[in-house]
Amino acid sequence: MTEAGTTPSATTPDPATPDPATPDPATPDPATPDPPTPDPAVPSPATSVRTVATRVRERARTTPDAVAMREKDRGIWQEVTWAEYWDTVQTVAHGLLALGVQPGDRVAIHAENRREWLYADLATVALRAMTVGLYPTNPPAEVGYLLAHSGARVLVAEDQEQVDKALEVFDQCPELHRIVYLEPRGIRRRYQHPALLDWTELLRIGTEHRAAEPGAVDGRMAKATAEDIATLIYTSGTTGPPKGAMLSVANVDFAIRTLVQSGGFTDPPPGPADVLLSYLPLCHVAERIFTTWFNAGAGVQIAFAESIDTVQANLREVQPTILFGVPRIWEKILAGVTIRLANTSPVKRWNARLWLGIADRIAGTLIRTGGRPTAGTRLAYGIGWLFCYRALRARIGMRRVRYAASGAAPIAPDVLRFFMGIGIRMHEVYGMTENTAVATANRPGRIRLGTVGEPQPGIELRIEATGEILTRHPGVFTGYYRDPVATAAAFTDDGWLRTGDIGEWVDGTHVRITDRARDIMITAGGKNVAPSEIENALKASPYLKEAILVGDRRPYLTALIGIELETVGEWAQRRGLPYTTYRDLSEKPEVRTLVGEVVEAVNARHAPVEQVRRFALLPKELDHVDGELTATQKVRRSAVADRFAELVEALYPPSAGSRSGHGGEAA
Amino acid sequence: MSATGRRTRLRGRPLLHTSYASELALFDTPAKRTSVGMLLMLAVALPFLLPDEVLQLLAVCCVAAIGAIGLGLVTGYAGQVSLGHAFFLAIGAYTAAAISGDPDGRVIGFGVTNIGVWLPAAGLVAGLAGVLVAPLATRLRGLYLAIVTLGLVFIGQHVFSEWSALTGGAGVGRPAATLEFFGQPLAATGALGTRDQKLYWLMLLFLLIFALAAANLARSRIGRAFTAIRDRDIAAGVIGVNLARYKAIAFAVSSAYAGCAGALLYTVTGFFDPSSFSLLLSVQYIAMVLIGGAGTISGAIAGAFFITLLPRLTREMQAWVPFLSAQPNEVPNVFQVETILYGVLLIVFLLFEPRGLFGIWVRVRNYWKAWPFSY
Repeated sequence: MTEAGTTPSATTPDPATPDPATPDPATPDPATPDPPTPDPAVPSPATSVRTVATRVRERARTTPDAVAMREKDRGIWQEVTWAEYWDTVQTVAHGLLALGVQPGDRVAIHAENRREWLYADLATVALRAMTVGLYPTNPPAEVGYLLAHSGARVLVAEDQEQVDKALEVFDQCPELHRIVYLEPRGIRRRYQHPALLDWTELLRIGTEHRAAEPGAVDGRMAKATAEDIATLIYTSGTTGPPKGAMLSVANVDFAIRTLVQSGGFTDPPPGPADVLLSYLPLCHVAERIFTTWFNAGAGVQIAFAESIDTVQANLREVQPTILFGVPRIWEKILAGVTIRLANTSPVKRWNARLWLGIADRIAGTLIRTGGRPTAGTRLAYGIGWLFCYRALRARIGMRRVRYAASGAAPIAPDVLRFFMGIGIRMHEVYGMTENTAVATANRPGRIRLGTVGEPQPGIELRIEATGEILTRHPGVFTGYYRDPVATAAAFTDDGWLRTGDIGEWVDGTHVRITDRARDIMITAGGKNVAPSEIENALKASPYLKEAILVGDRRPYLTALIGIELETVGEWAQRRGLPYTTYRDLSEKPEVRTLVGEVVEAVNARHAPVEQVRRFALLPKELDHVDGELTATQKVRRSAVADRFAELVEALYPPSAGSRSGHGGEAA
Repeated sequence: MSATGRRTRLRGRPLLHTSYASELALFDTPAKRTSVGMLLMLAVALPFLLPDEVLQLLAVCCVAAIGAIGLGLVTGYAGQVSLGHAFFLAIGAYTAAAISGDPDGRVIGFGVTNIGVWLPAAGLVAGLAGVLVAPLATRLRGLYLAIVTLGLVFIGQHVFSEWSALTGGAGVGRPAATLEFFGQPLAATGALGTRDQKLYWLMLLFLLIFALAAANLARSRIGRAFTAIRDRDIAAGVIGVNLARYKAIAFAVSSAYAGCAGALLYTVTGFFDPSSFSLLLSVQYIAMVLIGGAGTISGAIAGAFFITLLPRLTREMQAWVPFLSAQPNEVPNVFQVETILYGVLLIVFLLFEPRGLFGIWVRVRNYWKAWPFSY
């Protein structure tokens, strides 16, 4: 890229920053006594090492009766206090000790977000072992790869489904000794495998061990060093098999101090009065930050969603104050709002159209001011609050959200704009597993739409002449587990981490990500095209779920498009259009026309080389199990290109030298 | 710091239930609590705002509401259509009147004027009568049950008009029970207020007690068994609801409510005769439940007030509609309008708003609750 002028120096502290190192006196945080000075020197004396386990122990001591987390069980949000939390962690840790978990051993967790995930994670960290998270959607082959590659000694599997996967690949994992299952249904008294162990049995063993050797876990914790590996986080791997990034205790500590305690994201920093809904996979670094580290580091109360499908209902119940979402979630909520508003009575529709129009104007002003409200927006918002925004936000579960963030993938600015307009402080943030997600964030009041924000205070970030973003700070990971080649490739010679993302400076302070380096397309005409921007513009439509741009070494751009079954189905119903399956619906000429209009609208905002000339509708929903999506629901381009090769070829007919207007409209 | 408090409930999140008690609470949202509180305050303050004559009518409304709640339990919640409500009202009324009646009087009386005795006794005797009828309900359902309970009314009417030692006989009647509590007259004009003011407050208090008890019953295991039976008795039986037992409970509770309502009803006017307990009275109570909204407590109350106030409202109408006459021998007169209105309302409600007044309220509430969406 052409931003070489600003590349070399980017060590923030930005002079405009209200120094996040000094905690806001208005929000005292009793349980974070450590001075959050961004000191890059890693503390080495073993006694002063702070892990997530010591942090929870500290909270159990200072605020034993405050609520640490909630989980819905039999219709009721069951509460766990800090004292109960730490007590269970200790019992589990003793249980794992009794199973022979040594420092440096791996403990794998294969479960949805739930209390036991955190118990097992913290117990593992307390024992100086490493936690390995598996995605609940991982198919058996991937489970086998991850278990074998990490050499996990103990697996905590949620239910029969996950136990079955593990048993299927058990022979490939020589180091796997025990499979602890959380839900006995279908397993107890039916499965005879010697490695299986009930969670309640683990707790019983732990209780006995604790009675016999009460100081064992504390003793192990006292020996912890900053160099201990706290967790292995396997990157989703859109190309090639997943790689296990090793995050050390020092990495995690740095991330907690930077992102949580000194308010790297939120302003004011999070505290025990905040509530957060945990619903994204905990094996991803983003949810690990927002669930485990916000919880242990700042005392934020965690509520576990029942499942990813019930997120919207759970949001309404919990009404969190801090909300992190991936673009897919935000797009889905926006689509839900659009569809439901289209189906209301005339008075309500008129009311919503009026106030959402005003919200759009408010958002325009906020984008200009960087998110700081003006007197005008306050007034307009105040009136709109009575008529629309308050109710709307309560209905989508964001009535009390004081900080919302989108990350983990690029998002269309229009989606963020909507949420900013209805009064949600929306921030795009950026980070990756390999730098413990400490990179850049849009800070409250200094938002720049379309960028991923400013570098976090106290870190080094620069952009190479090639456009690649590099970071260097104490949060940069130790290396890939059992993969020195990949580790070497991830670093420059002088110790900078290569993120693999192409970016540029905006005004010298904010970073804009163009795309992943390997996703940049070069058309046959020699033009560089960054697909994700166009794809996200397409996906901002409520009717489109997936958009995959094709055009590398091709004469023009085309797209494979997957419709959103829910909204398009609704649309078809209102039109009296009968359909049976996803495939049937996506093959309807009316649906093609609908998608064609969306494509046309996006094309109108792009230069001719960046316009999608033709498109094809995918006949099925992309799925992790079929290998088309990664566990984090990112599209595996190569897999999709292979699988739908015929569809792609049909978009480039041999005679296509002549420009055939808009292929999608042909039907 | 608030975080040190023991499991402080998260504020302002009405859907986040951390215990079954909060999920089942009768007044679960702050809005509900404040609106019920304000309504209650208004109700208590009414005697200072309205003339005595209206208060007396409102006292009757309150008692009728108790009876309607009772019928609502058996018909609205448990789905057993009963046309015999007048019979149970009569049993309660005569039990109470006989217990508190003058021992030396023209009709049977035992002289125990304490309301603490005659009111529970009225409820108990009527409840027992209900238990006796219940076996019929376990064998019959729908139209057949309605016809059988209809038979009760006719048997009752015959017995009460012939047994003049108890009832005073048709066209003559007897005095109702005395409102007295351990020698203290409960409704007598005094320093604290007139008879009608006190009467109204007393009946309001009873209504409150009976309504809360019924609402509490409806959300309990028994109430859920009732609704299961209503929705499909076979399915309810299959999931383990003892049909005979719960139908008996439904009839017993409903009749006890009717008995108490009957005992209280005539203390307002002070005198009653057996011809009051005709089929018309049963139908009136059915109308209260249907127009108010079957299967809800507040609906039954609203229906009772509406039906009881209807004659008064049509009479008020006369001032606004000049061609209406207040004389029964002129046409058209208010009494004809009342009868017509009564029938038309029943038809209109059953056709257009089967869930009654409560259904209208629910619809209004949901409109705003769903704002800015429709669902």
